[in-house]
Amino acid sequence: MSRDRRAPLPPIAGRNCDDAWPEYKDLENLKRFLNGSAQIYSRKRTGFCSQCQKALKQAVKRARHIGLLPFVG
Amino acid sequence: MTKGEPGTLSLYECMFLLDNAVVREDWKKAKSVITDAVAKHGGSVVTSRRWDERRLAYTIRGKNRATYVLSYLEIPGANLPGLRRELELSERVLRYLLLKVDEIPATEHELTSAENADGFTVPTPPPDDVVEPEPILPVQETLEDILAEGEMDDRPRGRRPERASAEVAP
Repeated sequence: MSRDRRAPLPPIAGRNCDDAWPEYKDLENLKRFLNGSAQIYSRKRTGFCSQCQKALKQAVKRARHIGLLPFVG
Repeated sequence: MTKGEPGTLSLYECMFLLDNAVVREDWKKAKSVITDAVAKHGGSVVTSRRWDERRLAYTIRGKNRATYVLSYLEIPGANLPGLRRELELSERVLRYLLLKVDEIPATEHELTSAENADGFTVPTPPPDDVVEPEPILPVQETLEDILAEGEMDDRPRGRRPERASAEVAP
């Protein structure tokens, strides 16, 4: 007996690649791309291209370094 | 990344976490911690302003709160290791983040000059052990979120069927 897989959620909208890349100081924006444990969502969920996802990763890691975001939520 | 000629000034953005005890004593003295350290290593502070005072996401050097100062510096790249070492040894700077940037954002000059005006006073930081009431946020993560992240297995849950041997009477 296997449970049906549900359809994945649509990517988090609200950003194009033409916009400025996420910055470590923009906490409210960064938190949209973190789950309850402060882990970064996957590309499947954020809907980012490869470069934007890397920029997001860098911004979150910088914010963690200076104590704006937790390493473990 | 290519390094510039020795002695060429480069522009850096630096976020400092200052100990609130220093800020409580005197704000100008707290800012001079940064200015002096940069000047000692042949650089200059272009703009510097208080960014925020907030609770840290985790304890740093035994402190739960700190004052964030956002500065833009010009310093020769060759002098950076000395500056980094000084900041790491300083007890008044809890942590710092140093990034190379191309230009200073337009708003920084205005905000810095507003802070340097006569009428500006820095609010006194609250004690380190103050617990702020957390805002009650709606739960954003739903079951669909968890399933969409996709690491749940499809194995059937529940009790195993009992073995036939268990039903044999002694």
